[in-house]
Amino acid sequence: MSEATTTLVPTAAPRQPSFWEFVSNDVRTLAFLFLLPTTVVLTCVVLYPFTYALLLSFEDKTAGVPSRFIGLQNYIELLSDREFIEIFYNTVWYTVVAVGIKFLIGLASALVLNQPRRFNNIYRTILFIPWAIPTVIASLIWLWVYNEFNGLLNIVLLRAGILDNGIAWLAEPKWAMWSVIAVVVWSGTPFYTMHFLAGLQSIPKELYEAAEIDGAATLHKFWHVTIPSLKAVFTITVMLSTVFTSTSIVVVNILTNGAPANLTQILPNESYGVAIEAGRMGLGSAINMTLFPFLVVFIVFLTRRMLRKDGT
Amino acid sequence: MAMSQQTSTRLTRGVGAVALVVLIVWTVAPLYWMVVTSLKVNSEIYGEQVTLWPLKPTLDNYRVLFEETNFLIYFRNSVIVAVVTTMLSLVCAALGAYALTRLNFPGRRFFARALVYTYLMPSSLLFIPLLIIIRGVGLQNTLEGLVFSYLGFTVPFCTWLLMGYFMSIPIELEESAMVDGCGRLGVLFRIVIPLTVPALAVVAFFSFTLAWNEFIYASVLVSDLSVRTIPTGIPNFIVEDVFFWGPMMASTLISAVPPLVVYFLFQRFLITGLTLGAVKG
Repeated sequence: MSEATTTLVPTAAPRQPSFWEFVSNDVRTLAFLFLLPTTVVLTCVVLYPFTYALLLSFEDKTAGVPSRFIGLQNYIELLSDREFIEIFYNTVWYTVVAVGIKFLIGLASALVLNQPRRFNNIYRTILFIPWAIPTVIASLIWLWVYNEFNGLLNIVLLRAGILDNGIAWLAEPKWAMWSVIAVVVWSGTPFYTMHFLAGLQSIPKELYEAAEIDGAATLHKFWHVTIPSLKAVFTITVMLSTVFTSTSIVVVNILTNGAPANLTQILPNESYGVAIEAGRMGLGSAINMTLFPFLVVFIVFLTRRMLRKDGT
Repeated sequence: MAMSQQTSTRLTRGVGAVALVVLIVWTVAPLYWMVVTSLKVNSEIYGEQVTLWPLKPTLDNYRVLFEETNFLIYFRNSVIVAVVTTMLSLVCAALGAYALTRLNFPGRRFFARALVYTYLMPSSLLFIPLLIIIRGVGLQNTLEGLVFSYLGFTVPFCTWLLMGYFMSIPIELEESAMVDGCGRLGVLFRIVIPLTVPALAVVAFFSFTLAWNEFIYASVLVSDLSVRTIPTGIPNFIVEDVFFWGPMMASTLISAVPPLVVYFLFQRFLITGLTLGAVKG
């Protein structure tokens, strides 16, 4: 009985595959369809704008006026402008110092959180909070903390007798850049801590045990086991952070917008002012493009790194 | 050796504990100041009688924020932009990552590489032409324009992240499902996606917070007050009123809540998800 039913099946006429069935079994068509939305989006909002930005930097383009090709003139104008050179120097200094401090505090935080301690989960959760706080929000909070008359920082320093008069942290040439960097560090350190902690936790215990058998002291283990094992994590974290720190305008824009006297101005924020507020889009693009040759080194390296173990 | 193993361990623990206290104070102090300011009356916020702790706690700043400002509009706009960006990113990224990890087609490696390049492309290089482009297609001052621009950040990163997860699923599972007559789409939706829910959570969180936080594009592409999102809306409170720090801190507190809640709930997932890339290398 059961044999009779099974033999019946093949005799049914083979069904014509529907269009959808055809498409979903042809790997190339399917890949094309699956990647279509991504391709359209990335072409429109990344690739095309990037090419456009490059072109703009060779044009005299003012908002509302047709553009005119002027070759390298924007770049020549920039390089002969002392103000631009100062802002370029600021940007480099700001990036190096901010990345350096984030690195050190991030490493210290990760080492501390990696020690066995009760309630470590709670401490970790607290130290990572700034990561979840939007940078704009963090900048506004700090703007209030830095307030000359009513901000937390001056109040505490005055009441503790460390200062006699409140300091205008964001207006005083001596302090402005450091105050900006402090906010960048506050909101960016958890990114480092997170990576470094994950790196520390993936170091095989045997490495430490072997060092202990050899009688290595804590400091010795740190220099000869911990640091070398974290090298890869260090490189990728610092590079990613350098790209994003040097090109982010939020903190500077909200806290000082470059004041006092351009001392805290950085290139991306300068280009925002030139292109959007003053309408000189060609020159604004050129300002950003001057950073690109430096960024491209990191971007190419990081891309290789990020794809290495992904098998593609 | 100068120190015994034990003293040295005890010493590092002690130094660690001190460092931990300093780090926690540094992290929490600004947040503390935000919370207490939002609960203070003006006489405790400004002038001679500034307090470190609200003596007469009040919710008046929150009332002012909701009744006298556009905050609710900004909040609503931010929710719309963030939710829509998240959903679109999930769809694009899931389809794209599946194609890049499971379907063999010419140009696959090239595509994967291009994807990472676009992720690393800083937005500061793009915002000027983007304004011209978005204005040209009539999307200036619209939430759609913002969502579309944000996909440029979220899609590459989300796709790249999902690729890593998809590859960790044994391909045999999918092959046996296909032998059983399951189509490619069936495999994606019935096998791959259910197995990568944690990764999808990370991707969703990433897209949501990015859209929630984004500042440059939002300030370039949107000028109408009614279309502003939180990051470009609330900094304006400073310009509007000198004595606005109470409601301002109330607004920053409320704006920090959505990403913080998600962070507290899913931190384990999020941290392993986001550090995956770096630690793998």
